[in-house]
Amino acid sequence: MVIGFSIALIVFSLLLMLLVLMHKGKGGGLSDMFGGGMQSSVGGSSVAERNLDRITVIVGLLWAVAVVGLALVIKFQK
Amino acid sequence: MLTGFARAFKTPDLRKKLLFTLGILVLFRLGATIPVPGVDYTNVNQCIKEAGGNGGLFGMINMFSGGALLQLTIFALGIMPYITASIILQLLTVVIPRLEALKKEGQSGTAKITQYTRYLTLALAVLQGTGLVATAQSGTLFRTCQVGNQIVPDTSIFRTAVMVITMTSGTVMIMWLGELITDRGIGNGMSILMFTSIAAGFPGSLWGIKQAGKILDGWGEFSLVILVGLAMVCLVVFVEQAQRRVPVQYAKRMIGRRSYGGTSTYIPLKVNQAGVIPVIFASSLLYIPALVVQFSGNTTAGWAQWISTNLTKGDHPMYLTLYFLLIVFFAFFYVAISFNPEEVADNMKKYGGFIPGIRAGRPTAEYLGYVLNRITWPGSLYLGLIALVPTVAIALFNGSQNFPFGGTSILIIVGVGLETVKQIESQLQQRNYEGFLR
Repeated sequence: MVIGFSIALIVFSLLLMLLVLMHKGKGGGLSDMFGGGMQSSVGGSSVAERNLDRITVIVGLLWAVAVVGLALVIKFQK
Repeated sequence: MLTGFARAFKTPDLRKKLLFTLGILVLFRLGATIPVPGVDYTNVNQCIKEAGGNGGLFGMINMFSGGALLQLTIFALGIMPYITASIILQLLTVVIPRLEALKKEGQSGTAKITQYTRYLTLALAVLQGTGLVATAQSGTLFRTCQVGNQIVPDTSIFRTAVMVITMTSGTVMIMWLGELITDRGIGNGMSILMFTSIAAGFPGSLWGIKQAGKILDGWGEFSLVILVGLAMVCLVVFVEQAQRRVPVQYAKRMIGRRSYGGTSTYIPLKVNQAGVIPVIFASSLLYIPALVVQFSGNTTAGWAQWISTNLTKGDHPMYLTLYFLLIVFFAFFYVAISFNPEEVADNMKKYGGFIPGIRAGRPTAEYLGYVLNRITWPGSLYLGLIALVPTVAIALFNGSQNFPFGGTSILIIVGVGLETVKQIESQLQQRNYEGFLR
């Protein structure tokens, strides 16, 4: 049970990292973070980006479920 | 002020953005309370209670993660890896010609640098996650705690790997949340997340001061700290808004039948052009020697002893001087790389602008450089002094380390707050409403 959840967690984590890194980065780093003063004018996101968002949200939810599930399983095993 | 907020919520577009941002923040704080699987939550809580929320070496990073670091939650690393990655890339743009070329390229180049930052964040998250899990397992995270070495009961390699991977993906998740806020919410996501983490620590540490205080059942210290905090916020807002306006006159030009230009504007040179970045640079840099000692495991060697007596405690004169000097240096350094007088002068020349009384071209660049240099001196000294306030307060009032209105946190809170309010305001003004800054 623990092993199963652990493997699921690893898989979802790797997927999540991959998906997030596939996004186009927004925000221009440090100078933008603390008072760069520029208004970024970014247009609407593309269809591919929106689908990617959807998949990322689903994987993120599954990841959260796996985290909580694994924690509970470990706790009740003791 | 309040009606301004009401108006902000009445504008459908803005309301959507504000609610989206708030929703993300709720998710962020929620994740900061879920412990990583494999951590014994009761033991961790006991240790935190014993340590009194004072993480010593990890104090600053713990503050940046909103207390999530010591609790070993899935968002334990917070946005620190992203900040570190940004700092590293920012410094590297000065050194590596390829990155400099990318930066000059404009939008596409910046996008590429952002992408590098994201990859570097992932690498740093793996590193810091491994370090954190290792210190937690060996029991050095809480040195004084009885059950310090039972925080992570199972130390098998597989379990360790699962924990590190969970923390890493948590960090990546935070990065995505920040980008979502930047994209669809209001303000810059990363800085708002940092704002939230720091602000989340305030109530707890304020209550801690009340508990530890003696005057009037602790309420005396409580109100004193709040008053000092308010005064400091006022001071910081005052200096952050201060700017020197260098007048610029544009020549009138006739193109066809229309006339262009002929206007007089100004170049705003802020007193504190660099913002909080010098403080963050300096404290991250000063944190490195202590980290080296921590990971070398050799605490008895001469150099390690020297570092841990001189460079780890925030109230040692050596540390204070170095901190101050580094902040001043980085203030100048950052202004030098972010504002290029020659470029500005060139641009002005191109569009027919000049500063009254000064010739266009090289004299203008020299003048701008001169003004910038003189204005950065008070700015950098102010930054250094503000950052030293908590330490001085500790020395004077014999207060505890968790003085919540520490210089760094106040600078970040005020800076981010001002920036975000300005953005909301500009969104409001697009709809012809008067904003809430009058």
